[in-house]
Amino acid sequence: MSRGREDDTAGTLAARALEFLEPLYATALRLTRNAADAEDLVQDTFVKALRFSDRFTPGTNLKAWLYTILLNTWRNRRRDAAREAVDIDSPRVEEAVSGGDGPAALDTPEQILLRATVRDDLQAALETLPEAFREAVWLRDVEEFTYAEIAGMVGIPIGTVMSRISRGRRLLYERLSPSRPHADAEGRLTR
Amino acid sequence: MMNDDCRRTAERLSSYVDNELPAGEQADVERHLNACPPCRTAATHESGARAVVREQARRLTDIALPPGLRTRCEALAREHAHASAPSVFSSRRFAPLTAVMTLVVGFLLFSLATHRSDTVLAAQLTADHAKCFRFFANSTSDADARRVERMLQNDYGWDLHVPPSSSANGVRLRGARRCLYVDGSIPHVMYDVDGHDVSLFVLDGVSRPAATLVALGHRARIWTAGRRTYVLVWPAAAGDMTVAARYVMEEAR
Repeated sequence: MSRGREDDTAGTLAARALEFLEPLYATALRLTRNAADAEDLVQDTFVKALRFSDRFTPGTNLKAWLYTILLNTWRNRRRDAAREAVDIDSPRVEEAVSGGDGPAALDTPEQILLRATVRDDLQAALETLPEAFREAVWLRDVEEFTYAEIAGMVGIPIGTVMSRISRGRRLLYERLSPSRPHADAEGRLTR
Repeated sequence: MMNDDCRRTAERLSSYVDNELPAGEQADVERHLNACPPCRTAATHESGARAVVREQARRLTDIALPPGLRTRCEALAREHAHASAPSVFSSRRFAPLTAVMTLVVGFLLFSLATHRSDTVLAAQLTADHAKCFRFFANSTSDADARRVERMLQNDYGWDLHVPPSSSANGVRLRGARRCLYVDGSIPHVMYDVDGHDVSLFVLDGVSRPAATLVALGHRARIWTAGRRTYVLVWPAAAGDMTVAARYVMEEAR
């Protein structure tokens, strides 16, 4: 217990941070969708972690702290790039998610699961989610952070985190379900 | 039909699906789901997607790091640990010292801090140097300095004079890109000198005393002109760079 501070000197923090390079890179890739940008982002995150290592609170979740830096860095870059900002918590998005004709009631989670066992299907479906939903589902179900940790790292209230996770998952379910009135496997329009 | 019950359920749906509600509330939600088919469907869909993602989580993150990223981060960590080693003089240990001692050591720490930040700067830029050149591995032809300047201006708003290729000085311009640096991004101009990768970084609004230091097997020359600090990075093993360095230092502005 009394070792707390000594344990988290910059040196040991750096050594521990190195263990998270793979998940950080996988997440960076998910955010940037571009290998070069992802690499930039991870290296920059690591540099910042070293530089601000004295701001890390010993005993808290180092991985969550690193992800906070990663997400902030990404957000700042996006803001710099002045990309479009859509209010993803608006009712319009809620409609897009819950409205319309959902998948047929016959689709059980097990059936969906079977169809999605090919990683690429899931990957592709995740890609189609609006960024904030993809981020929430990813942090929760892939990285298994708590709602509170996600709220901290994304900088939004816990309630918003939970609703993004919920909407994101349901949207993902729809994207994984082929039984929508679009086109069948041969590309013919169905009704 | 969306009523208050449905709304309350929707708010707790992710916690319900994650099995994180207190037992009483979990039963509450359960009761509503049994009575309300639309909410039931939403819960089924949500837990279905959750199961799929979690089942695939390991494979989704099973992505190899790009070559060199780990090595660079390890080198950065070593450099950082090395540069911050003098911090055994932690401020708390000074408390019992006399004012004079504090003053003396304070001065010492200040000069260490300057040197330290230079070393960290050099190490970070050297890591960027190695990374960016990997992206340029395939481009071997000379880049046109005016076009590079226009690109930096149009894409990032940087007004920069880029030293062009100069055969008299053995310098070939390869290209430029935006490099992430701490809280923002900086221009990174890349050259080839006698087959060696050489980088020029430009930090706006920063002033540092001139210095040449070695970090991560590379030499970094730092100088300031006007409101800008420039850092030239090249492999320490590259031999004499005097001519090329002088050319770039004179041309960059």
